[in-house]
Amino acid sequence: MIGVQDFIGYYDWTFEYLRRNHGEAAVQDYWLRAISRDSQRHARGLIEAKGFDGMEEYWGHTLAMEEAGYTLDRGEDYFRIDMFVCPSKGDLIQRGLAAYHDYCEHCMGWVKPMMDDAGFVIDHEHNHAGQCYWEMRRPASRLPGPPADRGPHDVRNLPHWRQAEHHRYVHSESTTPEPDAD
Amino acid sequence: MSAGDFYFAINATFRFIHDAYGKEALIDYWTAMAREYHADVAARFRSGGLAEVRRYWADYFAHEPSGDVSVRLTEQGVEVDVRDCPAIRWLRDGGREIAPYYCEHCHYISTAIARQAGMRFELVGGGGACRQVFSIDGGDA
Repeated sequence: MIGVQDFIGYYDWTFEYLRRNHGEAAVQDYWLRAISRDSQRHARGLIEAKGFDGMEEYWGHTLAMEEAGYTLDRGEDYFRIDMFVCPSKGDLIQRGLAAYHDYCEHCMGWVKPMMDDAGFVIDHEHNHAGQCYWEMRRPASRLPGPPADRGPHDVRNLPHWRQAEHHRYVHSESTTPEPDAD
Repeated sequence: MSAGDFYFAINATFRFIHDAYGKEALIDYWTAMAREYHADVAARFRSGGLAEVRRYWADYFAHEPSGDVSVRLTEQGVEVDVRDCPAIRWLRDGGREIAPYYCEHCHYISTAIARQAGMRFELVGGGGACRQVFSIDGGDA
């Protein structure tokens, strides 16, 4: 039986299997149709119905269950996650697994379509080493660029934040971070 | 995702591959997973024999979040008696539509692992309760 205890390993392997056999577009399609619209329909339901409250309910529960190292932050016009120790990527790093070339991308792969449908934009950046931040807000209150420093709990202030390759999204669109921009 | 969500994702993955590429593609996915991702499990079974098969599955089911499963070594092989499958239980409790071919992954993956290990695998049942037997190839399952 494929169980949940080893899920991360074959989740990563599945991305690579799909890429190898059906192309990169199939991986994106998988994140959209299988994960965002099917598997995570409960997250969609919560966030579409309750907005920021739904995000707090969903991620407050799941990140605690995963025993992640993270903080949640809520402002008047945003909901934010700072991930210091991603349990998922951390598990792969610890086990030396990297079947797919960009495991971290799967989060945007399923969360972005959900936020699109719920009417939110995302500012996000990950460093492929188990750290990332997410800031969701309504399009009307979007920022001109990446969010300002949020203080001590801002993952970007970690000494080891600036490592490996970074991927950044502003207003849910991919951008290329400038070297030494932060 | 939390642990239970992972069962949702597994179910959704099977449905996606089946609906996008067909049943043969889904079977290929399962057998490729057994051949590649589970190669170390097959190697453990090959080197450790049925005692290792028993250890592996007893430990495996002990770490799933629910279910009622016993694993024992008999003269015929290793019998995995699934009285209440943890995956099916979680999917049912979560109100999810279970892909009608969901249970087949056990047959295809375990058969491929067993073959790599020089063993046989047989499965009877499904839908939340089944009996699985690993035996030495050439023996009676």
